[in-house]
Amino acid sequence: MVMNHFEYFAPRTPAETLELLGRFGSKAKILAGGTDLMILMKNRAIQPECVIDINQVQDFRTIMCEPGQGAVIGTNVKLAEIQFSEALQAKYPALSYAAGEVGSAQVRHMASLGGNTCNASPAAETPTPLAALGTKVVLSSQSGDRELPLEQFITGVRQLGLNEGEMLTRFILPEPAPRSACRYAYMGRRDAMEIDSVNMAVNLELQPDGETIRNIKLVMGSVYPRPLVSQEVPALLNGQRLIDELIETAAAAAQGEAKPIDDIRATAEYRREIVKVLARRLIQETYAAAKGV
Amino acid sequence: MSQKDTGSKWNLTPQGWNLEGVPAYQDQTRYTQVGRSVPRVDAPAKVKGEAVYTGDMTLPGMAYGKIKRSPYAHAILKKIDISKAQELPGVLAVLTGAEAPNRWGIVPQTANETVLALDKVRFYGEGVAAVAAIDEETAEEALDLIEVEYEPLPVLLDPFESMERAHEVLIHEDSPGNIMHQGEQVYGDVDKAFSECAYVLEREFHTNYPQHGFLEPHTALASYDPQSGQMHVWSSTQVPHYLHRQLSIVLEIPMNKIRVTLPTIGGGFGGKGEASSAEFAACLLSRKIGRPVRVTYERSEVFYTNKGRHPAHMKLKMGLDQDGYIKAVDFDNTMDKGAYSGWGVVVLFYTASMMHLPYKVPNVRFRGRSVYTNKPSTGAMRGLGGVQPRFAMECLLDELAEMMGVSPYELKMKNAIESGHTAVNNMFVPHSEYKKCLQTAVEKSGYLEKRGRLPFGKGIGMAGGYYISGTAYTLYQNYKPHTSVMIRVDTEAGVTLFCAAADIGQGSNTVMAQMAAEELGVFYEDVHVQAGDTEIGAFDLGSFASRLTYASGAAIKMACVEINQKLKETAAGMLGVRADQLVIKKREIYSMYETKKRLPWEKAVEAYTSINGSLVGLGNFSPPRRKGIDMISGNRVQGANIGHSPTYGFSCQVHEVEVDVETGRIYVKKVTEAGDCGTPVNPMSVEGQVEGSILFNIGGCLYEDQKLDASGKHLNPNFHDYKMPTMMEMPEMDTNIVESYDPTAPFGVKETGEGAVQPTFPALVNAIYDAIGVRFYSLPITPEMILKALKEKKEKEG
Repeated sequence: MVMNHFEYFAPRTPAETLELLGRFGSKAKILAGGTDLMILMKNRAIQPECVIDINQVQDFRTIMCEPGQGAVIGTNVKLAEIQFSEALQAKYPALSYAAGEVGSAQVRHMASLGGNTCNASPAAETPTPLAALGTKVVLSSQSGDRELPLEQFITGVRQLGLNEGEMLTRFILPEPAPRSACRYAYMGRRDAMEIDSVNMAVNLELQPDGETIRNIKLVMGSVYPRPLVSQEVPALLNGQRLIDELIETAAAAAQGEAKPIDDIRATAEYRREIVKVLARRLIQETYAAAKGV
Repeated sequence: MSQKDTGSKWNLTPQGWNLEGVPAYQDQTRYTQVGRSVPRVDAPAKVKGEAVYTGDMTLPGMAYGKIKRSPYAHAILKKIDISKAQELPGVLAVLTGAEAPNRWGIVPQTANETVLALDKVRFYGEGVAAVAAIDEETAEEALDLIEVEYEPLPVLLDPFESMERAHEVLIHEDSPGNIMHQGEQVYGDVDKAFSECAYVLEREFHTNYPQHGFLEPHTALASYDPQSGQMHVWSSTQVPHYLHRQLSIVLEIPMNKIRVTLPTIGGGFGGKGEASSAEFAACLLSRKIGRPVRVTYERSEVFYTNKGRHPAHMKLKMGLDQDGYIKAVDFDNTMDKGAYSGWGVVVLFYTASMMHLPYKVPNVRFRGRSVYTNKPSTGAMRGLGGVQPRFAMECLLDELAEMMGVSPYELKMKNAIESGHTAVNNMFVPHSEYKKCLQTAVEKSGYLEKRGRLPFGKGIGMAGGYYISGTAYTLYQNYKPHTSVMIRVDTEAGVTLFCAAADIGQGSNTVMAQMAAEELGVFYEDVHVQAGDTEIGAFDLGSFASRLTYASGAAIKMACVEINQKLKETAAGMLGVRADQLVIKKREIYSMYETKKRLPWEKAVEAYTSINGSLVGLGNFSPPRRKGIDMISGNRVQGANIGHSPTYGFSCQVHEVEVDVETGRIYVKKVTEAGDCGTPVNPMSVEGQVEGSILFNIGGCLYEDQKLDASGKHLNPNFHDYKMPTMMEMPEMDTNIVESYDPTAPFGVKETGEGAVQPTFPALVNAIYDAIGVRFYSLPITPEMILKALKEKKEKEG
């Protein structure tokens, strides 16, 4: 449980950080909260030659969340800050709730939003609502920035769409549409310190009649190597008013799309069962929230 | 120090409760310090993070020890090459099993563990070599350089498979059939009794494989002085004496050259109730290099070597007559022993003794066997030997009650034992308020009104239980007192109590201080406790079997006799009254008849010690025994060896659950508990023990299970994947201490640390049955099992 020797850098600005990344590329690992990185290093699952500690970089620690302008969240914003930010709670309650379900209080005060995404664990809490909310990640390098939808950034288990010398610097969340709501739910054995067996987020926007669904996005976590965006649920529900049979059909469709595996936490069979239950409950809950009920 | 807060909310007396205003001559028996809710003596340091655990300690020149572990669960050790490791700069010593071949084990008759594997490994992660190095990094590097050649053997993980394939592979050469021990106990004529029963039911029950989950991993720091040949060991153990004894056997050093000291201990729950390889390895390495060595386990190592609860495969048959009185019990138990014997024989026969209480059972047959498998050895875990059979018995009683068409409460009340009960196996219960426990929990929870009447998915269930308050025998042949206490009184330190007892977090130092204060007529805050050190403290057997409050209480009472007598004689001269008319209470000595004749306790201490020096009292405790030759009949008495206790604690739990029938998750909403712990010495501590006990076994019932793959490798050797309930899973608790005073016990005390884990499994299982109409016979009950059972039920009904 002793880590390998590595070179340690603590840059103070984004430019310095990107310069170091440009120099070391994939030999370097970014240290934000360290709640995943340190465990991987202690278990010798990874042995980076160099560690870039970004905790001195103030630009990575900011939340911008102004009325009508969506939000921009720095990569090293702590999950506890997202959990307790009143501005984010009001605009993106699903994200604040999911952030508050990660690990323990101690972990949430260390762990960052960027880390929760870049660790690329299929069971991670925050990528699910981020994807449902239509979040884009900003990937920066010395040669500039590019944007990517979050669900395209995470490509597999512990795999990211990062180029050499690039890092995730911030998340861009669009302003929620009028008459819309986003909700998050999870299933696990216990209600703290849990790794979910399934998690899910639904983002739902109504037409001006306040009844018909204009647009629904359902994202599942822990049932696929990366956040799984349902294709069938929008096909079934967009343009529809929600009735019980439709909810059942949509939930069954989500269940059909999920590709869970058996592991120590739950069997694939159980996970599929839970996808259906969560989908049904979450579509109902989000629909009611969008209607303002 | 608060001297004003003298009131005990319990106002306990041996004669009864709430005796405010009784005459002064009864003061001696009116408790002021016992029955007082006080924060633990160790609490402030722990809360502030200032408590020093063994792992926090470093000594000058200290080296770091690490153990190399086997990647096979069963294999012959062909060859170990340590040469490369020895050559690594910074490595001070490498140790192999051959250097310490003496077998150790807490039960000497079956001792079969060695410090490191000798010729074969029998479980995944068994130690094969150990290293001492200048730092942890070097030690780990050295482990990788040790080359071990294994010849894998078939891995047996299930006790039934282990017995079946014993002709093909033996885990221990000297244990044919792979059976560690088997036994039979028959009392009465069981078959005849069954033939006369009106209601007979037989079921099979299977329990899981949880471990203790203490926070502090095993750690030992050993310092050997080559000059004097003295070994000093600081260790995270709950049995300093048994550790002391095993160290003497393995190290081949007399006990008087070994000193065991306990720094703060971060929990044990039985998991530190045996020696561990950490302790032996630290000592052996320290002796090799003449420098202190510390070995601290990683959490994964705690899992690899844990001595958790025996999975039990039980067949239980029970017969009632037409009125519902239990007539016969037939119990067959196959226990999964894991790789080494440890506490095995004791646990096996504890399960047998559990059939005899807390109900009157006139005919009992037990057949049991403990079977070796290639898993970590199972051992002592909170409520050992009780939890599994209690689950079976209380669930079966619920089914029998349903068969009869009566409430389980009625059936259990009808059969419950009372004070003065002698079981057919000769276990004697001097005092019991079990019926009061049943009644209190049932009434306070509204069990009778709610059972069978809650909406689908909600349920309520009850169960009772009991546990010992200490044992009758030491684990090795000896009749010495089980606890000795020395108390020193002088003007320098006030009152100091010396006892080698182990406070592992259960609060024994606090209750010992309370009992000593009570008996000496001073305040709890006046007493200093020097515990957990075999050189400073007088002898104690250790923290297990819920023995310490009773045993130390008796020894404390004896130790105080001489001290009080001398102080009274001194004061008598000063006051001009008879010594036998003096009372010592609240740090004053006064005449029980002329209460104006009084003087401060310190004055008498000062007067005595200025003439005689320090005042010392010594007391000890030997438990009553129920085995041997009956003096009247001359017959050998059968039974009451394992299972007998000076007294017994009783309790009842009512659990209310909500089952999410779509996800299968079980939410325990409320637990109503009532316990007979005799006099609660520290009621606040009792509440903590009880609440902790309940959550402990909610964990065992719904969450916790160690999982191994087919090769015996652990799948969840960490707290991430081995799920224990958290505070979020803590139900609303209504715990009640029922009025109880055991007149045969010191201060009327009984156990509470292990009794309260007993009813949890069956109360929960009975509640789940009430909620969804499905009975579970295997643990833990997972959400997946709930969904599967509901599906099957639906198919059956549809």
